[in-house]
Amino acid sequence: MGTLGHVILAWRAHDANVEAEVQRARTDGDAGGAWLERWLAIRAAIPRGHTPTGLDLPRLALPELDEPGAIARYLLGQGLPGEFPFVNGIHSEMYLQAADGKPGRRLEEPTRLFAGLGLADDTNARFRYLTQHQSSVRLSTAFDGPTLYGLDSDAEAVFGKIGEGGVAIDTVEDMERLYAGFDLTDPACSVSMTINGPAPILLAMYVAAAKRRWGDACAMSLRGTVQADVLKEVQAQNEVIFPLDASLRFLGDMVEHCVRALPRWYPISISGYHIAEAGATPVQQAAYTLSNGFAYVELFAARGLDVNAFAPRLSFFLDCGLDIEYLALARACRRIWAIGMRDVFRADERGQRMRLHTQTSGRSLVAQSFKNNLTRTAIELLLAYANTTNSCHSNSADEPFTTPGEEYVKLAANAQAILLEESGLFRHMMNAIAGSPGMEAVQKAVERGILDEFHTLDELGGVLTAVEHRYQRSQIQESAHRYERQIGAGERPIVGLNRYRDESERLPDVEMMRTSRATKLKQVARVKAFKKRNRVAAIRALDSLSRVVESGGNVCEELLDTVEVCSLGQITTRLHDLVGHFRPLV
Amino acid sequence: MTKRPLRILTAVPICDGHDSAINTINLELVRAGVEVIYLGYHRSARDIVRAALQEDVAAIGISSYNGGHVEFFREVRDLLEERDATAIGLFGGGGGTITAADAAQMTRQGVDRIFFAGTPLDEIVSFVLAYGKRRGVRHRTAKSPRGTFPTDRTIARTLSELGPLPRRLASQPRTVGIAGPGGAGKTTLIDELVRRFLATHPESRIAILSHDPSILGKGALLGDRATMIYSQDDRVFMRSLATHGTAGGVAAETGRCLEILRGLPFDLVVVETVGIGQESVPFAPGAMDCSVLVMSPDYGARLQLQKIVMLDVADVVVVNKGDLAGARTAVSEVEHRLRAAGGQQRVIATVAKAHRDTGVDELLHAVLGTRADTV
Repeated sequence: MGTLGHVILAWRAHDANVEAEVQRARTDGDAGGAWLERWLAIRAAIPRGHTPTGLDLPRLALPELDEPGAIARYLLGQGLPGEFPFVNGIHSEMYLQAADGKPGRRLEEPTRLFAGLGLADDTNARFRYLTQHQSSVRLSTAFDGPTLYGLDSDAEAVFGKIGEGGVAIDTVEDMERLYAGFDLTDPACSVSMTINGPAPILLAMYVAAAKRRWGDACAMSLRGTVQADVLKEVQAQNEVIFPLDASLRFLGDMVEHCVRALPRWYPISISGYHIAEAGATPVQQAAYTLSNGFAYVELFAARGLDVNAFAPRLSFFLDCGLDIEYLALARACRRIWAIGMRDVFRADERGQRMRLHTQTSGRSLVAQSFKNNLTRTAIELLLAYANTTNSCHSNSADEPFTTPGEEYVKLAANAQAILLEESGLFRHMMNAIAGSPGMEAVQKAVERGILDEFHTLDELGGVLTAVEHRYQRSQIQESAHRYERQIGAGERPIVGLNRYRDESERLPDVEMMRTSRATKLKQVARVKAFKKRNRVAAIRALDSLSRVVESGGNVCEELLDTVEVCSLGQITTRLHDLVGHFRPLV
Repeated sequence: MTKRPLRILTAVPICDGHDSAINTINLELVRAGVEVIYLGYHRSARDIVRAALQEDVAAIGISSYNGGHVEFFREVRDLLEERDATAIGLFGGGGGTITAADAAQMTRQGVDRIFFAGTPLDEIVSFVLAYGKRRGVRHRTAKSPRGTFPTDRTIARTLSELGPLPRRLASQPRTVGIAGPGGAGKTTLIDELVRRFLATHPESRIAILSHDPSILGKGALLGDRATMIYSQDDRVFMRSLATHGTAGGVAAETGRCLEILRGLPFDLVVVETVGIGQESVPFAPGAMDCSVLVMSPDYGARLQLQKIVMLDVADVVVVNKGDLAGARTAVSEVEHRLRAAGGQQRVIATVAKAHRDTGVDELLHAVLGTRADTV
């Protein structure tokens, strides 16, 4: 039995323990009395607040329980917000307005907006536009295709892809331009980068760019995330560039380096989003994401890293769509993660908390009558926050056609503000719409589904072996095919597509975000000039990198020097020579 | 004689990993009887056009979701024109990322059709099937000038028509047959051999005949190219064949195709079988200069080895996946089995998935017959 088998056992044991406690609370007078006493104390300690209409409400609503067994089941089975197993969230309070009732600004907005277009300068301008009304600076970066695949803008055959769908980054100098004007050392600033295969190189460029501006000591205060989830790349998103073993080694090097030198950095975002977007069902998304998470923990622990040093630096990223599973998907995930981390990996409480970023589903959006996408995204946002996500990105309605235009980006951001600040649903109480019997029933069904998948993965020999046998891929592809057929057959209603279709509708005429030929040429010239300028130093730097790779040293640390004089493509080319290319699974 | 099924090449452009839509469409096309040669994702226009010519397909389908589609499709169209292959159709889609204005421009530039988001799968399938009716209006195959290497297109057409046979060459290419059960890693192994061969023989050319199983009259997904990353090279001619119900590991036309390739100035011709069963002997005695049986260590009980007929006729036996538990035992069991039957064949342990695996180096020497052993 592998790790996942142990997680299954821990999950069962946890349920059995809860039920044993429930029985004890009912049959043992002392225990029952203790539970009642604790419940009354919890109830008495809950702060209250006032709504703008003068209503007096508790900031946390508790069920009306007066029977010790039911109290024990509630507190142990789902826990209060901020308490194991974190079904109701990993913090005691989230999204709430200040206790004095004033709307006030929260220290940190949960809203994240993804941006990336053209060259570094263009994206920098977009970042400034997006953050102009935010108290905290949250820069979420999308890279163009060549960057995602570790290629330079002057590489063969990639010209048409420069700056399309994301920003083109070739060198540390591009990285400096990308975040120019933002104080990256500010505690209220965090930068996330959606990069996987070449993540250690891009992280090194980021750190090097920051050090150029603020000096070496700034590493301690840099805060942000790189996605770096190579397992989900192999399973769904196909942007892994090195063979899996080498990719996992570089990732381990990066995690180790972050734990040591970048204490505020999240070196991996374990992502179900792309798994779901590739066609997985919600349960498959959750099961593969969590199992990938446990696989990483096992790998990092096997390197000798202390679970309590790295587990608090892990974070998760899930999709939220319109299927009913999303009513409780994240709640189920947090519970399984907490139990697995506590009981299988002996992580302390910080390592048991599943930090979660959610994005509304891109796949649920359609081109036909595309303004309906505003409604879809609004419902998904409601579901995401009802699942107490730590942060959330809302998609723009025009996303089925293009990198979002400013009008729809603004509407997407406003949707979050309307939900969290304008509506009363989330600002007065932690759980105003959580905990319904229906939500609990969905949560239980989802948990069972996830555990069934764990069982299959465990029988196949664990996550990595299943990956090699392309198990997750084929499951996801099968689900994607079924989904398309359901739409075709009308079994899955989509308004504007197979229901209420407006036959007179022309294809939408929206503003297109495209990168001009001149812009692309500018980037090609930039990277060529960088390489020419550093051609002598690059030879030495790459040879030094080779020695580290071959001697088994920490590649991520070495990259901090390499990126000073080498471009992304020069570095990946050398690494490919040393470790090979990823061989795609189909 | 049954009509040759319609052959279509599908791919996702360079720097794009969005393969969800194309996977679904591939499945639908196969169900409709099409032979789909799937090149995979993150593929350059050059790779796509080369593969289309070599596979002699009626059309190319490209699924693009990462932008830059106007340029990319134009590049594909230009390359087809350059190679006098505009008879090959070109269609594609990209959900909503390809707008109506883009599509109009792309159609003007020679793309037959762009499918928008929400197009029913059946509509895509009937469009593609119509390429089958268009066949016969091909452009004349340009003859290669004397003394030059025949173009991919010429070779591809000759293979499709199973003739005429080229004149036999003085020095024939070395032919290597690679067989083994499904999942043993034949495809990866061949690609690693190709990588080494290209690197060590900078002027040489390789031809590969790769097989995937199919039922007579039905479609097939021919996906070996997607994983054979080093074999997508101007010095490699690759042809994917479906078996159309022929048992034994290769297709009915394989022998003839092999004869054709042997008459061309390749240096190495590799034939990969479908996953074979215990009783299969896919290559006739003497048909290959070297026949290789690739096994994985998990063949089951030792008794199973007695039943594998090809063990007695293979020139080289490879136990791949040498990193798996039990690999060493497997090698010695296989050796024991061979020696007990009086066989003297080489047994080589490989880890094809590892970069620079020395077992694969040894195998290359063994199949080329360049050295009896490696240091």
